[in-house]
Amino acid sequence: MDLMIREKIKQVKKGDQAAYEDVVMYYQDKIFQHCYRMLGNAHEAEDIAQEAFIRAYVNIHSYDEKRKFSTWLYRIATNLTIDRIRKRKPDYYLDAEVKGTDGLDMYSQLATNERLPEEEVQGMELQSYIQDEISNLPPKYRSIIMLRYLEEFSLQEISDILDIPLGTVKTRIHRGREALRKKLRHV
Amino acid sequence: MKCDKDVVNLMHGYLDDDLTKEDETKLRNHLEDCEACQKHFHELKRSITLLKSVEQVKAPENFTKQVMQNLPTEKKHKKYVR
Repeated sequence: MDLMIREKIKQVKKGDQAAYEDVVMYYQDKIFQHCYRMLGNAHEAEDIAQEAFIRAYVNIHSYDEKRKFSTWLYRIATNLTIDRIRKRKPDYYLDAEVKGTDGLDMYSQLATNERLPEEEVQGMELQSYIQDEISNLPPKYRSIIMLRYLEEFSLQEISDILDIPLGTVKTRIHRGREALRKKLRHV
Repeated sequence: MKCDKDVVNLMHGYLDDDLTKEDETKLRNHLEDCEACQKHFHELKRSITLLKSVEQVKAPENFTKQVMQNLPTEKKHKKYVR
């Protein structure tokens, strides 16, 4: 598959726009999923994932073919999600539907904020609960935890994607796992 | 009992495949004797398993088509640059 992508990228660089379609098709689920886990919201995830592919296309000439394309693409997507998170207003998504609550929005959640984690788990499906806890991790841990465990990149690849030293990746994955442990040990 | 941070660091080193044989033995021996650390280690491994159990999501239908439609073409590009 890597070889196919490599070929397609070469064609795109030569100006063959149609060749990009296969590239998008191949990575769409991965990149959408990555954005979804980072943002915890399907609409935003679609927006940002679209933008990531468009940026990758526009900047394709700055992609160095000696490196892995997926690493480069994930870097663009991750940076965009982090920008989006920074720009969010705290009440931005109060009227968005909360996952797994069958139509309830954030307003309906406000009064029930004080529930214990155990009760909360019972009230929601486990899947949505875990997704919510992922979304609650600070972004700098969240990105690493997801890249490692849901997208199965190596620590070295994560260091390339996020452009941070390997030592920092190790410190953050350590802290991210501890944060996650505290959130999920009641489950 | 309160175990020092070194043990927790060893656990994370283990999870990252980053331990020497010597450190691995040290961790193993400690875990055999210490229930609190055993619990901690178990919780760490379990949260990773839970995390990995999260459902895979797929991109919406027409995702690729939409990207392709929104790519700048030569023509559109001129319009935007102006």
